[in-house]
Amino acid sequence: MRIQVNARNRGYDFDAAPGEHILYAGLRAGIDLPYECATGTCGTCKAKLVSGRVRDEWPQAPGRKYVKPAAGEFLMCQCVAEEPLTVEVSKFVYPMEGGACVPQPASATLRSPHALTHDVMAFTLELDEPRDFDAGQFALLAPPGVPGYRAYSMCSHERGSRRFDFLVKRKPDGGFSQWLFAGNRDGAQLEVFGPLGKATFDPSLARNLLLIAGGSGIAGMRSILTRAARERYFERHRGYVFFGVRTLRDAFWLRELSEHAGANVEVTVALSEDDVPAEAKSQWPRLRFERGLVHEVAKRAMAGKYAELRAYVAGPPPAVDAAIRVLLLEAKLSTDNIRYDKYS
Amino acid sequence: MGKRLICQVADVPENGLKECETGDGLKLVVANAGGEFYGFQATCPHQEVPLCEGLFDGATLTCHMHLWQWDVRTGEARGIAEAPLQLFPLAREGDALYLAAAGGALDVGELFNGLAGRTLEALASLARPEAHAKGATLYRPGDPADDFFVLDAGRIEFLIGRGERSAPSGFMLKKGEVFGWAALLDGYPARIASARCLEDSRILRINGKRALAVLEQDSQAGFVVMRRLAALVARYLATSGVK
Ligand SMILES: Cc1cc2nc3c(=O)[nH]c(=O)nc-3n(C[C@H](O)[C@H](O)[C@H](O)COP(=O)(O)OP(=O)(O)OC[C@H]3O[C@@H](n4cnc5c(N)ncnc54)[C@H](O)[C@@H]3O)c2cc1C
Ligand code: FES
Ligand code: FES
Repeated sequence: MRIQVNARNRGYDFDAAPGEHILYAGLRAGIDLPYECATGTCGTCKAKLVSGRVRDEWPQAPGRKYVKPAAGEFLMCQCVAEEPLTVEVSKFVYPMEGGACVPQPASATLRSPHALTHDVMAFTLELDEPRDFDAGQFALLAPPGVPGYRAYSMCSHERGSRRFDFLVKRKPDGGFSQWLFAGNRDGAQLEVFGPLGKATFDPSLARNLLLIAGGSGIAGMRSILTRAARERYFERHRGYVFFGVRTLRDAFWLRELSEHAGANVEVTVALSEDDVPAEAKSQWPRLRFERGLVHEVAKRAMAGKYAELRAYVAGPPPAVDAAIRVLLLEAKLSTDNIRYDKYS
Repeated sequence: MGKRLICQVADVPENGLKECETGDGLKLVVANAGGEFYGFQATCPHQEVPLCEGLFDGATLTCHMHLWQWDVRTGEARGIAEAPLQLFPLAREGDALYLAAAGGALDVGELFNGLAGRTLEALASLARPEAHAKGATLYRPGDPADDFFVLDAGRIEFLIGRGERSAPSGFMLKKGEVFGWAALLDGYPARIASARCLEDSRILRINGKRALAVLEQDSQAGFVVMRRLAALVARYLATSGVK
């Protein structure tokens, strides 16, 4: 199906496969259409119909609160073209840069699911062919029998690999969560689309790194840390990692984070609902522990250390919003140096 | 129309924001920037998000949704923002703030906002307001590129190529956006795109050579305008978009 997108700076033409969501078809064609969550919650992919007809595959999407259907507005990440379309996107849209990892659909097999805590599960996806992605990116996953895609950040980073690692925090009554936690899913086949996301890290950045993660938000940070460590990035630049969890029982990967901690890398675990247990510091001597919400702990620790710095933030939307507030108002970072994923 | 009351000075917290509505239904946000008050559009020029929920540090406003930023004193876009803020000049009388003269397209505009009053007036005196009906063509490829335009209201579409083989190269819908800027550059005597109204639209038409003459009299303003023009051209050159 032919789709024409008129952006503020130019027009684009691409084809969508039958049933393919308009956003994914455009991204697959290398056109950097606007999106954030790619899964119907944030409203960023809003477009306006000029001609043709779309079918909304998820009319209950929370992101619909940002669109006016009567004015022909719709979410590109949830809608499918029923006829050749012309739509308008009220933004500048550019082709993806040469060298960008253009997202594509893939099939994958789920491997070695294992619990990290009482409500966090990690697993590996084995793709049918190798795929590149940038550290900090995410992919959309659809297990059999669960409608729609879910976004999950890769926790690993390796060029040209077939193996992508993920972690999922259980959400009560969540479709993907129920599916994943209900039984042993080793060997299950999933549909994948990716890589996606702009909270990416490349060593050419050459700035200090501040990583603020609320809970499962540590997923993408692990990918960034892996990439940075492989390039010996922290021999030249500093790293500050803040990992927010409710209690020590909710924390995971403390051994892996300890391995990253060193002369130039501070790793702090922020406990929002519990005092720091006495044994935490003796068990994890290379880590710091603080009581408080992760953005507040980061704000206290970071005062005066914001020069030459890029911040990455991920986790539940309220945690991300609170951290962004600190980064703008206290740290006075330029918006280009604030990269975030809201796990909405 | 009589004086339009916006709010009391005391309603706007120090280095804070307040959304206000005039008696006749105009919504705007007032920012208190260290005791100076600035009024601007109530919703984000990106998507219709209330700007009173934005983050304000006393000078720069950030929309919390996708982090577009502006200098509230000039409305100028910062960082990744793709459009300026429409300002509403305010007048303070005692403890109250009133709407001053309505912001014209020129001082909202991405090229000219914030220029010295005399220069802005000289430019405004060159501007000829025009109204065009939906579907009207403003120029075609090959037409002389003598004038440039500032959008006041409506929506303009651009096409490159001719007839059947023309392809869309974008559209404009924000008050204050400038198009047809070949008229401000040397060596581009003719249009290479066509511009058409997608809705009933109001524009200001300004002769390029005469505008350049005004800017030569105020070289500081001329420098600011040329810097902004260079940024504007670069933004379009990043693609095949040509206006
Ligand atoms: C960029 C990004 C990265 C993320 N990374 C991670 C991560 O690394 N780890 C992690 O645990 N979580 C992550 N999340 C959150 C994750 O995507 C899920 O929202 C969360 O796991 C809950 O999923 P669920 O299926 O259990 O809950 P549900 O409530 O069933 O679904 C949650 C989301 O799935 C989508 N969805 C639900 N129903 C439909 C439908 N009928 N049609 C289409 N879409 C539907 C929507 O996006 C909805 O918000 C991320 C989110 C985003 C946006
Ligand atoms: S990108 Fe479509 S709603 Fe977020
Ligand atoms: S809605 Fe304000 S920046 Fe996107």
